[in-house]
Amino acid sequence: MAGEVDGVEIVARRGKLVRGALTGWGLLMYLFLFVPVLLLVLLSFNRNRYGSFPITGLTTEWYTSVLQSSDLQDAIKTSLGIAAEVTAISVVVGTAAAFPLVRSRLRFRSAFRVAFTLPIMIPGVLIGVSLLSFFTNVLGLQLTTQTAVIGQSVYTTPYVLLIVAARLAGFDRGLESAASDLGANAFQRFRRIVLPLIAPAIFAGALFAFTMSLDEFVITYFIIGAQITLPIYIYTQIKFGITPAVNAVATILIVGSLGISGLGIAVPRVIKMSVRRVRRRQQARRARPAGAV
Amino acid sequence: MTTQSIAAPGPAPKPVRVARPRLLSRLSQYLGFTPAAVLFGVFFGAPMVMIVLYSFWTQNGYSIDERWTLANYQTIFSTPVYIDTFLTTLWMTAAATALTLAIAFPFAYWLARYVRRSWQRPLLFLVIIPFWVSYLLRVTSWTIILGSKGGLAHLLGLFGLNTPSWFLYDRPAVIFVLVYLYFPYAALTLFSALERFDWRQVRAARDLGATQARALRSVMLPQIRPGITTAVIFVFIPILGEYLTPQLVGGTRGVMIGNLVDNFFEEAQFAQGATVSVLIAAVVVILLIVFRRSLEVGEMYGR
Repeated sequence: MAGEVDGVEIVARRGKLVRGALTGWGLLMYLFLFVPVLLLVLLSFNRNRYGSFPITGLTTEWYTSVLQSSDLQDAIKTSLGIAAEVTAISVVVGTAAAFPLVRSRLRFRSAFRVAFTLPIMIPGVLIGVSLLSFFTNVLGLQLTTQTAVIGQSVYTTPYVLLIVAARLAGFDRGLESAASDLGANAFQRFRRIVLPLIAPAIFAGALFAFTMSLDEFVITYFIIGAQITLPIYIYTQIKFGITPAVNAVATILIVGSLGISGLGIAVPRVIKMSVRRVRRRQQARRARPAGAV
Repeated sequence: MTTQSIAAPGPAPKPVRVARPRLLSRLSQYLGFTPAAVLFGVFFGAPMVMIVLYSFWTQNGYSIDERWTLANYQTIFSTPVYIDTFLTTLWMTAAATALTLAIAFPFAYWLARYVRRSWQRPLLFLVIIPFWVSYLLRVTSWTIILGSKGGLAHLLGLFGLNTPSWFLYDRPAVIFVLVYLYFPYAALTLFSALERFDWRQVRAARDLGATQARALRSVMLPQIRPGITTAVIFVFIPILGEYLTPQLVGGTRGVMIGNLVDNFFEEAQFAQGATVSVLIAAVVVILLIVFRRSLEVGEMYGR
């Protein structure tokens, strides 16, 4: 694509220089991005109790202490529970709203679009404090993990909505008309045509919502009451300086996330491949008698 | 991205209409919105309305009275500390946004123009990986690096220098960490704009006698401008409402307006907190209205 073939050699040399400089810049940016991350990983193996420099020796004792800490395990459990609920809510609500957003010819469609994307543009602090006052002063609710689930869902649903809507927008409606012409009813069309085609977007949205929920601190901190999620645990820890245990948790989380997203990339591919293989086999089976004629 | 099919080849003389405006399908259109309308209406819209009301009501000890007043706004606008914080926040946000864009643009340009297509996806993926590290830990990791016992101090020590004391726990550190946190947003948005640009146009401009700089300025820039606006907005707005990073690395001088909101609500000063919240929200909404045409909200996430 970037086949710059310039006749004049000086221009070519300058082009090479620019290219080299930009490549250097690109690599520098990756360094910038990863230095803090790698540092956390390194320090999680550091014997130093203060979770910072200097490196006094290597150890895995922080990992064993993490695995034994019941506070931390509770926090992780709470976080996973909340994340699961938040993901379920945002996927259902976001997907349901994506359809009319893309397909309907409602008059207020763009107004809906703005209204539904506003929660990601309004700072988390504002969502947090407004929900806090709303729950306690207006509804008189006890703050629990359920209130936190609601608060996070407000924040994650728009992302799912946008991801699914983008997929729907690039969706060839002729496919549905074709299915309809072939006698498929609305449910069949949805089940056999629409759902398989938007499944990757729903999956991506779910993954996005899940990871956002796991790391959400600002909103959650205001409205969760006495419960402790993983980010809140980390927050209480780093108030007294970073502990190596927290670094170990971070490292476990990175590896876990890499694993999950590795699955996220691999699973759809495997599914797609096997579906294609099955289809090819069916086609081959169908083609054989036709070819015999 | 859109896989638009070729227009249906039909013998029908009149234009083919796919959508049938039946009452049922009309209703089902609204039906899809219902859960979202409930979620956002009750748990986003209503609380926001309530905050606006609070900002016009009277604080009475630790509770709030439904007596209308403008006193909250008067207090905010007549107290130098609050005005200072607001203005400081604006320039810090502007500085952080400008820096983020300035370092992300060459990166995105390199990725879009000079990197082989098959490498672009994996390299983009790498940009997202730091997101999986807890926000809090990404911030505190920098306090280790920038701190007095940290890596930077070691590095500077080799040259016989001390870490500048004005950096960490002050505004520069806040800006620096914010640039770090929002770099991926800017890089991804700018890349998606540059990716769609056809570089042959630059060639064409060069062939017609334009210099490289001129070609980029008059041919490339106008086409990616919406992408740049989107990047600016998507970095500026979240930074404007930041309160964790200033709290963790800003010290007393690095306080931003989000911290003000937090402090007011922690002290149960709901009316004042609500007033500052309304002011922040007003800035956000105004920015969104002004730039609504060039915002590519859907495309940013629809990749």
